[in-house]
Amino acid sequence: MTDAASQSAPLAGPLTGLRVLELAGETGQFCGKLLGDLGADVVKIEPPGGEPCRRIGPFADDIPHPERSLSFWYYNTSKRGITLDLGTADGRDLFQRLARAADIVIETFRPGHLSSLGCDYETLSRQNPGLILCSLTPFGQTGPWRDYLSSDLLHMAAGGEMASSGYDETDAPDAPPIAPGGGNAWHMGCHFAYMAIVAALVHRTVSGRGQYIDASIHEACALTTESAIANYVYRGEVLQRHTGRHHGAGPSPRTQFRAADGNYVCALVGGRLNPRYMKELADLLDTNGMAGDLRDPKYQDQAVITENTSHIIDELVAGFIASLPAEEVYHRAQERGFTWGAVRAPEQLLDDPHLSDRGFWKEVAHPEFSRSFTYPGEAAIYGGSPWRISRRAPLIGEHNAEILCGDLGLSPGDLIVLAENRVI
Amino acid sequence: MKALAGIRVVDFSWVRAGPWATRWLGALGAEIIKIEWPESERGRLPSSTTPQHLEANLNTSGNFNDTNVNKKSLSLNVRTPKGLDIAKRLIAVSDIVIENFSSRVLRNWGLGYDEQRRIKPDIVYVSMSGYGHTGRHHRYTTFGPVAQAVSGQTFQSGLPDHPPAGWGWSYMDDTGGMYGAMCAMTGLYHRNMTGQGQHIDLSQMVASVPLVGPALLDFTVNGRGSRRPGYPPGNRAHWPGTPLTANYRGGPTVAPHNAYRTDPRGYNDWCVIVCQSDEEWRRLAEIMGNPAWAADDKFATIAGRLQHQEELDEGIEAWTRTLGKYAVTERCQAAGVRALPVQSAEDRVEHDPQLRQREMYLEMEHPALGRHKVQNAPFKLSETPAQNTLPSPMIGQHTREIVERLLGLPHEELQAGFADGTFWPTKRPRFPYQEEMLR
Repeated sequence: MTDAASQSAPLAGPLTGLRVLELAGETGQFCGKLLGDLGADVVKIEPPGGEPCRRIGPFADDIPHPERSLSFWYYNTSKRGITLDLGTADGRDLFQRLARAADIVIETFRPGHLSSLGCDYETLSRQNPGLILCSLTPFGQTGPWRDYLSSDLLHMAAGGEMASSGYDETDAPDAPPIAPGGGNAWHMGCHFAYMAIVAALVHRTVSGRGQYIDASIHEACALTTESAIANYVYRGEVLQRHTGRHHGAGPSPRTQFRAADGNYVCALVGGRLNPRYMKELADLLDTNGMAGDLRDPKYQDQAVITENTSHIIDELVAGFIASLPAEEVYHRAQERGFTWGAVRAPEQLLDDPHLSDRGFWKEVAHPEFSRSFTYPGEAAIYGGSPWRISRRAPLIGEHNAEILCGDLGLSPGDLIVLAENRVI
Repeated sequence: MKALAGIRVVDFSWVRAGPWATRWLGALGAEIIKIEWPESERGRLPSSTTPQHLEANLNTSGNFNDTNVNKKSLSLNVRTPKGLDIAKRLIAVSDIVIENFSSRVLRNWGLGYDEQRRIKPDIVYVSMSGYGHTGRHHRYTTFGPVAQAVSGQTFQSGLPDHPPAGWGWSYMDDTGGMYGAMCAMTGLYHRNMTGQGQHIDLSQMVASVPLVGPALLDFTVNGRGSRRPGYPPGNRAHWPGTPLTANYRGGPTVAPHNAYRTDPRGYNDWCVIVCQSDEEWRRLAEIMGNPAWAADDKFATIAGRLQHQEELDEGIEAWTRTLGKYAVTERCQAAGVRALPVQSAEDRVEHDPQLRQREMYLEMEHPALGRHKVQNAPFKLSETPAQNTLPSPMIGQHTREIVERLLGLPHEELQAGFADGTFWPTKRPRFPYQEEMLR
């Protein structure tokens, strides 16, 4: 490499040099993305014909096709892809050969399946003591529920998310608990799995040895309800659901208000009302001439403030928000130090200049479409080892030749035989 | 053996997201030194989780205890030159610095990344601010609910034609904390491999955006926004009478896919049931005793069940109302039908047989709170298990240990620091364990 080339070479991601084998469906594919976008070489191993989660919508141009699932595109960036039928002896043999040179295997099969294939941790680590194998499953490898079926909705129920989320009776009488959307059961499981894997990697830098990880999505969800467990453990409380705000042991002032454009604003006011805050609030509301009686000296008395909480929140704050578009309220409030936000639909984020300033949006080339598409970027900016999407999600078997011939030394003729026999 | 044995973390974080991050680094074996100051403390007070029989003070918050196990506490006024010097000495012997203040706080103290790097060239510094350290809105502030609102997450939850239901807690404090721990360990791995430290600029609001990825691609690729009839579809995969589109929850678009009331119809007596195929639906009908309504041809196909969801859900609920939520779960799962109960915190701690078998909640003794269950890790590392080893520290509990044993300062320095307000406000009453350490 010339000096000029080395100077212009981009910094490598923090996980550069690691080889990951991903045997993951819908539940675990995000973990592979987290590793791949930070520089790991993730090889997704799909059954011949492709992973079933390629059938999850939405699809590009609304044309259902396994190469057009936007859900698959999103969760499989920065990976290469091969096909292997692990139900065949040839498929298992090739997988084991790949596992000998791998750092990490992620698998989401039902408990026991990998052992039945002769590919459990004990077997694989004999050839590769540094291997880290993470099984990420709905309930873990043991316990009375380990073979239960699941889905995102089921995890949101049993994990406690639903018991904490929903509506005030006045907003939606008799409403059920509401499961937060977006597929977050899988996110929660994958965040914890990622954490366990990187902990094992750090340990390996010291000990040279890998290990086996048994991660449970149900436990990840059950851990992700902030103080709900503590409220029960320390006070015996079971919390009530409230519209767009915290669960609570009792009623609490509302925090979600309808703005002039029909969108909502999250404005945390209750619990903060004191004489100093009243002056700041009056200044904010006055930007649209809506301060009402807030400048009355009586509000310098905490008792009067408390007595008038409903007037202040449900009339004055609600009235101010109702007089302006949600984005306008958001910025006016934040510029004055109020921790408020607009409740945005996801598409509004494309117009957020703060995200643009951070270089958040990434253009990802899709040569099959002769164009690139805009993808969301990184949670955090790594100053010395950047996050990046190295490629779009793999096509089915796209890297069969590159990896099976390039890495394992198979011949083009071998590939033909494997394809004919549905091994790849 | 612990995965992060020998790693020391200087933890300036407060409230929830930062402490939730360092809790996990502690469970994995790192030594966490939590730097606190009682006059500007946020996380211990105000407490809504102090047991009814105890006085709410700095050492009796139940939620603080669960969020801060596996840490040591140094009470230190970093806003004084002497306090700042102690903080710098700590950074010099540490591997990671974590904080979740607003974007310019540490720099204004004179502890920005450039200064940290001067003190400890390979330091891994994770800042966990609301909007990040760069970008025009870096001065904006967040709580979990604001990050969730601004990033599009709140919008994705609720019933059609209703306000967003959002998340009933600071999901992005929990998840922001996860990212804090993930960034710290990723930076640590990179340091171990290359010798290089770095600043990792995490933003709670920005970290929330990748979690709405598929909805964003539906917009950037197809031009379809989420503000549309029938979205979000409550607990359903699709809201009947509206155009059929993906809902971004994952899994196929199917019915039944909903929450159903169960006996005895209390606040959390609900069970969710999902049938992802005709076969699963036939099995459900059989468990329900093959009622006549379920045999109607209109329910025989996925298209029919999606179209007639109101009637379908009514029929299913007529059955679930006759059984408890765990009975519905067991009958369904035994027959290969997807079902689980809606579980409150009490349900998870007391009634969930899976969490019990997996030892999710184990008791720990805390000097002020007594013996209580604490949440454990959702993963089992075979060689280096994550374990809770210390209860949350009482404020300043380890000040002497850190100042004298770790930094090697003489006992007189500790006494002088208490006298001049470096280690505790001079006018604030001391706890008995502080009197003890000054002897």
